[in-house]
Formats: sequence, structure tokens, C-alpha cells
Amino acid sequence: MIDRTLFRATLVSALLSVAGCASGPGGGIYVPTDADPSTAPEPPQTSSGSEESEAPVWRKSEQPETTPETRDSSRSGSPSYRETGDGLSPAALSLVREADQFLTQGNVSGAIGRLERAQRIAPRSAEVYFKLSEAYVAGDQLGSAEQFTLKGLSLAGSDVRLQRAGWLLLADIRRARGNVAGADQAEARAAAL
Amino acid sequence: MVYLDAVVTSRFEGRRFEVPSRVYARPLELFDGASVSAGALERELSLSGFRKGDGKKAGSYQRSGNRFLISTRGFSFPDGDESRRRVSLTISGDRIQGFSVIEGDRAPIVRLEPAQIGGIYPAHKEDRVLVQLDEVPALLPATLMAVEDRNFYDHFGIAPLSIGRAMLANIQAGRIVQGGSTLTQQLVKNFFLTREQTLLRKANEALMSVLLELHYEKDDILETYLNEVYLGQAGTRSIHGFGLASQFYFGESLKDLDVSQIALLVGMVKGPSYYNPRRHPERATERRNLVISEMEQAGLIESGRATRARQQSLGVSERPSYSENRYPAYIDLVRRHLARDYKEEDLRSEGLRIFTTLNPAIQFAAEHAVTDTLPRLGGGQGAESLEATLVVTSKDSGEVLALVGGRDPQFAGFNRALDAHRPIGSLIKPFIYLAALQQPDKYTLTTPVLDKGFTLEFDNGQRWQPQNYDRKERGEVPLHEALSRSYNLPAVRVGLDIGVDEVRETLTAFGVDTNISRYPSMLLGSVSMSPVTVAQIYQGLATSGFNTPLRTIREVTDAGGEALSRYSLEVEQVSDPATVHLVQYAMQETMQEGTGRSVYNTVSQQLSLAGKTGTTDDGRDSWFAGFSGDLLAVAWVGRDDNGPTSLTGASGALPVWSTFMAQVPQHGFSPVVPDGVNYHWVSSEQQALTDEHCENARLLPYIAGSEPTQTISCSGSLERRIRGWFEGLFQ
Repeated sequence: MIDRTLFRATLVSALLSVAGCASGPGGGIYVPTDADPSTAPEPPQTSSGSEESEAPVWRKSEQPETTPETRDSSRSGSPSYRETGDGLSPAALSLVREADQFLTQGNVSGAIGRLERAQRIAPRSAEVYFKLSEAYVAGDQLGSAEQFTLKGLSLAGSDVRLQRAGWLLLADIRRARGNVAGADQAEARAAAL
Repeated sequence: MVYLDAVVTSRFEGRRFEVPSRVYARPLELFDGASVSAGALERELSLSGFRKGDGKKAGSYQRSGNRFLISTRGFSFPDGDESRRRVSLTISGDRIQGFSVIEGDRAPIVRLEPAQIGGIYPAHKEDRVLVQLDEVPALLPATLMAVEDRNFYDHFGIAPLSIGRAMLANIQAGRIVQGGSTLTQQLVKNFFLTREQTLLRKANEALMSVLLELHYEKDDILETYLNEVYLGQAGTRSIHGFGLASQFYFGESLKDLDVSQIALLVGMVKGPSYYNPRRHPERATERRNLVISEMEQAGLIESGRATRARQQSLGVSERPSYSENRYPAYIDLVRRHLARDYKEEDLRSEGLRIFTTLNPAIQFAAEHAVTDTLPRLGGGQGAESLEATLVVTSKDSGEVLALVGGRDPQFAGFNRALDAHRPIGSLIKPFIYLAALQQPDKYTLTTPVLDKGFTLEFDNGQRWQPQNYDRKERGEVPLHEALSRSYNLPAVRVGLDIGVDEVRETLTAFGVDTNISRYPSMLLGSVSMSPVTVAQIYQGLATSGFNTPLRTIREVTDAGGEALSRYSLEVEQVSDPATVHLVQYAMQETMQEGTGRSVYNTVSQQLSLAGKTGTTDDGRDSWFAGFSGDLLAVAWVGRDDNGPTSLTGASGALPVWSTFMAQVPQHGFSPVVPDGVNYHWVSSEQQALTDEHCENARLLPYIAGSEPTQTISCSGSLERRIRGWFEGLFQ
């Protein structure tokens, strides 16, 4: 039997960071310069068209440029990397909350459906994967739960709260699966943070 | 008589339930921050059957500049209903901004109804959208009876009186102006669509009509009629029933039709091609107005409403809201995935709803990239027979977003993306180095590897002498450079050092499910794969070591919306994220300095990308596989006859790939640094830590504990220069 309360304890802390995540979801995107290849001519503009006259937002890193831990990308032409994943946008967060409601009602597949929608719009957010893990724990699919936790951990980067939540979650899942050594190892990782 | 009875009963039962499966694209999700260009949004709306208008009527939208007002129709998704809403949004920098729900349930995220992208039809190619009598607007059957069969609820299948009346009218007019068939007779006629007008057939028809009436309730017959009547043709596919006709002609659901639209459909029963509103608008208008008058006479509508209805335009959508098999290669993959769990006959007749992952905007860009780029490639002799494929997946979910199977994307023939198994060439190299970097005490990104020729002699006396593409040899080169420049000799040496089996195991872990050759030539990519398999194994490289099975289907429901199967996101860690991070570095370097650098002739420097070129002997296969922050794409260019071309991965497949990537708004690739990886400024050639401002300094990732131990100053020696400055000052 799986002790659900144990799982929940670690998850609450994981989700707490949702609201406080400093980095916005996604940051800037690449905007194609070419006009749409086969679009009909644009209808006459009723507005002044000021939006179009703005310079397109191009940014190498997905992190906001002000975030200190992001590598200075001014040196163009060098491989990019970043220290943390994305946060959750309000849209993704609303889906995660709906999933929470489903979980409370015991509707696991409903929750997974909502979380997969959230994952599609926030694919680089560790929280989404931890939530998926929670849903799979509720559905007694611990193998999938472990994998989603690992995926979340791969995006936690230098965020200590996310790291700790992830490792503790992993320890719980491994213990529930009978992998005591793996659980101890994960707990040690959490303790070392 | 018994025979006729059996025939008509089986037809009636069979036809009532045979409905093709419908295949839907993924629904577009509208929310603040969603990446979509104004043009793509408009195309998406049109694909989903939205019409340009005031944005107030359900199923219409208004665009002024980059501001959109959209009135959704609502849709019943497998995971719940999306209600009708009126939303407003602005597109700025290819992203949705200021999204708000003006009318309907407030929500920060709303799904548009998905575009129908195909169907899986019964063998006889009849298509229909099944409707039930109680969901049909009452005006429709009432009008139908007023026009076609006033005594439907009273007769017993045939109406001798009206036949007589029709004959009289026909004699008076000197031509056929009235049919005199009851709805029941028309239904029977529809069951056996032959045009021959023989007496025997007429008699059989009448008999069968009477038999049908004996067996079934009037409402059953009426409902079947509504779903059965022939109302037009779309290519080889025939349009049956008012449900589908409503979508086909107006792009709207039957329940949303107004008086004039109902009148037009009822009017068309008499001759769907003669009164085809797209081809013969005047005839159709005349016929519609006649029906409106009949509605008025029968007291179904008031005269004011009738007058207004007559003044309306036909309201027919420019083209059918969907056409058959617009994406043959993609649907082919969907069918193969479905075949794992469903029988073909069920797909053809059970009216299943199949929700796929196809992204129409991405598919559009992918098709354009292939058709636009192929004619511009040189390719030497046989350039006209060049073929290409492009597979695009969502990097972190494994959803297949687009698939192009050949130079003519509309052609439903040989699906190269799935069935062309070709040697992958240098696409294998990241896996060789990945296997090597898993031994950080032996291999790091700066480990010198030998770019020098050698000969392998096999037991049977055969010799193998691998060479570089440019036939040059460079001596020692750092590992990251050997990968980004795709040198062959170091790859083979490293592969042989760690062992071919190690590389095979890595490939298998990443998703190759066929037997892989043990010959050392596999280290230069003699192993054959389909483009879709390449996309599968690169998924693990793009996602820091997580194998994510490719999916084309999210969910299948029955005709009533009940979920039958869900295909969930799955991830499985197959490699240490730290090692994959190092390979991702070299794959980014490939795009900036290596064999993929021409990508930035097409794409802005600001979009960081990672990838790998692949070329096989005599340019028979030109490959490119790579990814951004959001998308993974694999392009292949070559000839079906496996003939030589003058192309390399960089000059054939890469232009297709780049043209695709350049069109799509998306995030750049910027992987999160995994636990246990540290970046250091190093002199890559001398394998030593150095200062950031040194000329040859490079910021490279190392697995903790494997970083260089020596430190070196900038060449020209920093200390000496400082001393020189002091000397100058104090002399």
C-alpha cells in the first residue's frame, strides 16, 4: 500500500515554487522575418499598425536577459545553455489547478489529460512533470511516476527547491517500489543540497 | 417478395450504422503567450470551418490588423466539453496577447474546435455525419415534407394520389416537373443507386417501400432518410445526409442553420449536381427561393421571415471545410498506429473520432519547405527525380506534428517518411561520441582524437580503409571539433575503441528496434533507418536522454464521444542527462561553426539550434536531423532508385530543414545544465583551463571531475605583457 500523505508532503513544496518562479514561461521567441509564404494580402489596417513597426523580439536564450545566472549570450555564435527551466504561465497553471481538482475527486485519467495539455504548453517546466508524477502515483503507476520525476529533475537546474522536491519525491516512489538503495541515494541527494 | 424483404431490411439496418471514422487535427489552444502568427491563425480558423464575418455568430471571426474576434462553436472533446465563447486577442511578435473571453465561460485558455483532416471511409466511399431526429431543427423535416412528401405521416410507403397528380402536372407542362415519389421511395432509391428507369425497378422500389413501412416506424424512416439522402460529390467521395451536407456546403453544424440555408439543402434534394450552389449559384438561388415560398405557404415561416430569407446570399463557404486526404502521408502513419488496436472494418464503419497530433500550421510550413526547396537544389544528374521527406515532432512530447512523404505532399503513394529505409551516414556520430563520453575519465569534449587514416583487415582477408569526406587528415583534433566538423576517421577510431557493441546498445536504448550490423562500417552509418525512426532516436538527444515514443494519436472515442483509447505521454530515461548535454554542445557547435553552419544563411542567428548532417556514398542520401527549443525535424533528400546525386547533408537536406525552421515562430534551443555538469573556460587545443578573455578560450561543459587540471595563460603570456607595461611606466 502506498502512503499517499508521504507523497503529498514533498509535492506541496514542489508546487509552492510555481507561484514564485522568477523566470517567465518561455521568454522571447524567434519570429520569422519572411512574410507568410502564401497568405493573401493583409486586410487594410484599421489601427495605426504600431505593433508591426516594432522591432521583432529575438533572443538567443529563453531566459529573460536580466536573469543573472543566464550565460551572457552577447557573444554570438556560441552554444547556448541555461541554469533553470521555465516557470508555468497562467494558462498552464490553470490547467494544473484543474488537474488538482480531478485528483481530489479521484479522477486520475482526467488529471493526466489536463496535465498533458499543460505539458504541451509548458514543456520545459519541472513542475509539470512532478505533477504528472503525482497523478501517476495516484493511479498506482509507479514506474511512469519515477520516469516523470526524473524528467522533472532534468529541468530543475540550479533551483534548489525544485531539486529537493524532486529528489524527495523520487525517494518516496523508489521506496514504494521496493528499491530501498535507490531511495536512500535519492534522499542523500536531497540532503546534500 | 421474401427476397426483396430481406434485401431492403438488411440495407436499412446496415446503412443506419455505417459511418466513417473522423480524423481531427490537434485543436489550437488560445492563451496569452501562445506562439502563432496572424497568418497561421487565420489559416487555422479557415481549416476549422470558421468564416470571416462579424465574429459574433458562432463559427465566425473578425480580423482587423492583428486583432481577432472569434466566436467559437464549442466542441465536445474526449476530456470534456469546450463551451461556446466569444474571445478577443491580438497577435504581436507572433504571440497571442491580451487574450480575453468576452462572452461565455471565462478561462485563461480556450481550445478552438479541431480541423477535420480526413476520414477513414467505407469501401464505397460514402461519407456522412450521423444526426438524430431530435437534434435536427424541426424546420428541416417540416420543410422536407412540405416540398417532397406532404402526406409522409399518413401514407403506407407509396402515394398513388400524388403519383397521379405528378403525372397530370407533367402532362400539362409537357415535361417532368414533379417526381411523385414519397420520402420512403426516395430512401429505397438511394439504397440502390442506379439510374436506370425501368418498370421493373420502379415496381421493386414501390414494393420495397411498402415493406419498409411495414417493418419500421415513420420516425426511423425519416431519420434514416435524413442521414442517407445523396446531396453532392467531393471528388470520389459522395456526400450523404443533411449532417455532412451542412458541413460540406456551409461549414456549419446542422443545428446552426438558418431558414435560407435549410431551404437550400432541401431544395438540393431534387438534383444535387444541377443545383450545386458552388457551381450553379443562380439555379440554386432560384430553387432555394421556391422552397422558401413553399415554407411560407405551408405556414412554417411568416412572410416577413420568408422575405428576409429570400434576400440573403446563399451563404455557402468558398470551399468545403475539409477535403479528403489533404495529408496522405500523415494519415498513413495514423492508420498504422490505429492498426495496432483497431480492426480496419471498425475504422471504416463505426464512426470513431480520432484525435491526432497534426499541427496544420507546422504541416503547412513543412510542405512549403519541401516543395519550395527541392527545385532549387542542384543535385547534378537526375536532379529532377530528387525526392524529399520531412518529419517534424514536438521535442518534449514526441507528438508527430507534421509529415511530408515526398515532393508532392498531396500524392498518396510511397510514403518515404515511413518506408524508405536508407543508410543514415554521419547521423550516427552523436551516438558514437555519446557512448564514449559516458566514460568521462577517458573522454571529454576536449580529449584529442586522431584524424589519421588506417586500414582494418578482416579475418577473411578483406580490407577496410575509411576516409574523410574531403580526403584530408588533420592529426589530433579535440573531440567536440571532430563531431561538429563530422570527421570520419576520429569517429571510427573512437567507435572501435569503445566497441561497436557499445554503440549498438546506445542506438537500441534510443529506440532502434531492428537488428543493427556489427560491421565497423556501421560507425560511418551504413545502418539503414526510415526518417521516422531517425526522428525517434534523435528525440533522446534533444531531450537530455529521455526516450519519448512518437505518437500521432492522442485519443480515440466512439461516435458518442465515449473514450476508447488514450495514448499518453511517456518518457523513459535512456541516458545520463549530463552526457547528453555534452553531445548537445557539439551539436550546437555544428550549427555555428561546423557542417551545419549554412543554416544561418536562412535562419536568424538569434535562433539557437542543434543538429547533425549526414551524407552517404556518392550523395545517395542527404540527411539532416536537428532541433530547436520546441521542435525536432528530420529531413532526407535522395532518389527513389538510390542513384547518386551531387548533394551532401549540408547542401540537400539542410536547406529543406532550414527553410522549414525559418518559417516557424519558436523558442531557441537552450538546454538546462544538468546536475553534475560544470562549464569552464578552456583552451580547447591544449586541454587546459584558461581565462575568459584569452583569444582561443571556449566555454565548455565537463562532467564534474573530468575537467582539465592544468591551467594555462593566454598565449603570448599575460604576465610578460604586464611586466612590459610596468617597465614602460617606470623607465
